[in-house]
Amino acid sequence: MSKLYFEDIKIGDKTEFGSKLVTKEEILEFAEEFDPQPFHLDEEAATNSIYGGIIASGWHTGGMLMRMMVDNMVNHRAGLGSPGFDDLRWIRPVRPGDRLRFESTVIEARKSKSRPDMGIIRAQVYLYNQNDEKVFAVKTIGMMKTRP
Amino acid sequence: MKYWEDFEVGTQLEFGKKTVTEEEIIRYAEKFDPQPFHIDKEAAAEHYYRGIIASGWHTAAMCMRMMVDGYLLDAASNGSPGVEELRWKQPVRPGETLHVKAEVLDRSLPKSRPELGFVKFSHKVFNQDGDLKMTMVSSGMFSRRPSDIKTLEANQ
Repeated sequence: MSKLYFEDIKIGDKTEFGSKLVTKEEILEFAEEFDPQPFHLDEEAATNSIYGGIIASGWHTGGMLMRMMVDNMVNHRAGLGSPGFDDLRWIRPVRPGDRLRFESTVIEARKSKSRPDMGIIRAQVYLYNQNDEKVFAVKTIGMMKTRP
Repeated sequence: MKYWEDFEVGTQLEFGKKTVTEEEIIRYAEKFDPQPFHIDKEAAAEHYYRGIIASGWHTAAMCMRMMVDGYLLDAASNGSPGVEELRWKQPVRPGETLHVKAEVLDRSLPKSRPELGFVKFSHKVFNQDGDLKMTMVSSGMFSRRPSDIKTLEANQ
C-alpha cells in the first residue's frame, strides 16, 4: 500500500476496524505492571467495588487503542508522531471477554504554520464494545508529512 | 486512608522513581505500539528521534504506576472518568529515571452520587535532570469520608 500524506486526509474521513478481544489474562498482566488497584487485579475486591467485577485499566484500553491504530492506520501513513491527546473519556468499563471496535472521524486538518512540510490532523476516536456501547473516547492529534 | 475531603485544591504531591530500561520499552511497544522507533534499535538510530524512545502510552502507563504507588493505593480511589489533556513534551529514553509532581486543581461533588467526589489533578512527569517529559490534566473519583457525608450535605 502506498503511504498516505497530509493532503490525502480530509475533514469527515471515517476509519473503522476491529475487533480486539480483551482477555482476563491480559487485563491482569497489564494491571500487575502498571495499575495494581484492587478493581483491576482482585476478583473479590472488584466484585465489591462500584464496578461489580474486574475491569481493564483505562491505560490498558488506551494501549489497545494504540495497537489497533498501529496495525490498521499508522503504518500506512507518513506520520511524524503525536504531541498528545485531548478529552479522553473512559465511558464504560472494559471487562474480560469484551470485543472492541475502533471508529475514527477526522475533525480538523491544517498545515503547520512553523513547518511547511508538516500538517496536523485531529480526529474524534471511539471504541465500542460488542453491544455497540461506547466505552472509550479520545481526540487524537497526529502530525503528518505533506506530499513531497 | 485518604478520602475526597483530603484532596484540597492546591495540595501538592511529589512521588515516584522509575528507571526506564530498554527491555521494558521494547516489551511494552511489542504489545501496544510496535512502531520501528520503539522496538528496533537500528531503525530507531536512523530515525529523527536518534535512538529508541518509549511509546507515549508507555510513559502514561508508567506515570499511572507511580500514581498508584504514590497516593492511589492509600486513598479510597474509585477510578477515573478521563483525561482532559495529555502532552508528550520530550521523548523518554532508556536509562532515564522518572518522577511525578502533582497538584490538585479543582474538585467537585456530583449530585447523582453522594458517596463519591471528583478531584482534578495536574500531573507532570520529569526525568532525573528535571526535564519535563509529559503533562496531564486528569480527574479521579474518590469516596467521601463516611463520617463527613452528612455534614457536607448539610452545608451545601
